[in-house]
Amino acid sequence: MIKLANVSKEYVIDNEYTFYALKKANLEIKEKEFVSIMGPSGSGKSTLMHIVGLLDKPTTGKVYVDDKEISRISDDELSRLRNEFVGFVFQQFNLINKLTVLENVMLPTIYCRKELNFNPKERAISILTRFGLDKKLNSRPNKLSGGQQQRVAIARALIMKPKLILADEPTGNLDSKTGHEIMDLLTELNKKERITVVLVTHEIDIAEYARRIIKIRDGEVV
Amino acid sequence: MKNLFFIFKSAIDDFSRNKMRTFLTSLGILIGVFAVVVLIALGLGLKKYISDQFEAMGKDTIFLVPGKILSGGGFSGSASSFTGTFDNRDIETLKKVNNVVSVAPIALKSTKINGLLKEDFSDIMFSSESLLDVMGLEVDVGRFFDRSDVSKRAKVVVIGGKIAKDYYGNAEEAIGKKITVDDVKFTIIGVLKSKGGGGMGGPDYDSYLYGPYTTGFIFNPDKKFFRLSVKTVNENYVPQVKEDIKKEFLKRYKEEEFSIIEPTELLSAITSIFNVLNLILVAIAAISLVVGGIGIMNIMYVTVSDRIKEIGIRRAIGARKSDILSQFLAEAVLLSSIGGILGLGLAYLAVLSVQNLFPAYIDLTSVLLALGISSAIGITFGVFPARKAANLEPVEAIRYE
Repeated sequence: MIKLANVSKEYVIDNEYTFYALKKANLEIKEKEFVSIMGPSGSGKSTLMHIVGLLDKPTTGKVYVDDKEISRISDDELSRLRNEFVGFVFQQFNLINKLTVLENVMLPTIYCRKELNFNPKERAISILTRFGLDKKLNSRPNKLSGGQQQRVAIARALIMKPKLILADEPTGNLDSKTGHEIMDLLTELNKKERITVVLVTHEIDIAEYARRIIKIRDGEVV
Repeated sequence: MKNLFFIFKSAIDDFSRNKMRTFLTSLGILIGVFAVVVLIALGLGLKKYISDQFEAMGKDTIFLVPGKILSGGGFSGSASSFTGTFDNRDIETLKKVNNVVSVAPIALKSTKINGLLKEDFSDIMFSSESLLDVMGLEVDVGRFFDRSDVSKRAKVVVIGGKIAKDYYGNAEEAIGKKITVDDVKFTIIGVLKSKGGGGMGGPDYDSYLYGPYTTGFIFNPDKKFFRLSVKTVNENYVPQVKEDIKKEFLKRYKEEEFSIIEPTELLSAITSIFNVLNLILVAIAAISLVVGGIGIMNIMYVTVSDRIKEIGIRRAIGARKSDILSQFLAEAVLLSSIGGILGLGLAYLAVLSVQNLFPAYIDLTSVLLALGISSAIGITFGVFPARKAANLEPVEAIRYE
């Protein structure tokens, strides 16, 4: 579904030396997989995830989405793919606190240019109800607990019926019990709804929820 | 469509959270729009006032004055070198011109007036019985002087309503009473209906006395007139009569020794001067709109910096550059439109409050102009901050703390 071929990401620092966040990384993620990308902090795993999630473009190398090379597609087209194809879950939840929980979950639908085959509000409410948040629809996200916020973020990632969910340290800001609940939820999405899940973490017990673990160190896939 | 609704809703949410900031930011536009709209309204009022004055004078009337005062539609800068005035022979000449209904010579004297209640200075206008017609005056009580009064050099006067009130209490009291003009006793035979006007430097016909020009020769031994008013059959005859008069007068005077003025010509000369003045004032007021726009730009840059993370989140979930651009542009336009609408409302109240003193009014053009300009300012000054927001790199924006 997503393939990275010889992907490097370089940052030139102070016009002097080049820092390689990623070095000729090769990676393939197949449909319906549950993959963990594991490595210590600074290993380049976040860069890898941003490239997989089409938030960032590699300096060299090629990225294929459904066998289509994306380096030549426009910014608008990338936005469309992020909107329809990928759902993000972040460590800091990244919810917009001035919007309500319901509005946050519905937000991706307003950026979709094609006709939706569902009613945004009904779908948002049904996902939030399933996650036990039906009493919090009109609350502001910053009034919720960390676990609840992360469930709102997952609901937002699901609203557009994506093929892929990218979770960047989703349990990083949660206690271990809540962290495992979130992981159970992601596992369930992968198993029952056949959504591909890519998880970035530095914790081995979190990484082990996945069927495949990709290790990364110093920008190289090992 | 859903997007637009969402954009405006979130902008309004944002404003209601920052009411003070929103108000202060729109204040610049508010003041600018207020100043521009009020000045335009005053300009329109002034123009209306002037044209009403000319309307009262009659569009079918032509004036002859000594010297050259008008050239090419505007006032000529050079002062008249000719100091002479018109005399009885000119009146006879004018009366012979085709389509002239009546001629009223005018001599003015400003002097001490002595009535029942008061002694003060006022203006007396000596003219013929045609003055009533030429100036569109109407008699309230009594009568106007007639041809026989003129030929008999009768010492009679007709007075303006204000004179009657000030010197005798009311019009009925004044009729038949004596009034002393520069030590000469006149009998009041009529009081005129109030014509309004005055103020704004225009003549106040209610404060004049009117007497036969022949009687006026007492004070005017040279028998000269500073102005001749000619009434034509109707305004369509004005150009032809003007030409004929010019032909006749050139037999006696040089071209630069007299001017023939049509009220409409004078009106357009005056309005063109006021238009330029008004335009200058409005342009000065418009500077405050630019200042207001800069204020909006400033606050929009602050808003963008405050919300880098939010921009990153929106980009990550699929917002295009154009979505971010229109979101911030909409906020800028909304900010300036709030200022524009409040400014317009305030200008309306201001104009309403001066309306009984001055005929200022707000026309549809200024409403559309105010709203158009304020949203144009929002777009112009909002586009730079909005572009900054749209061009943020999604990865960097979402990592921003």
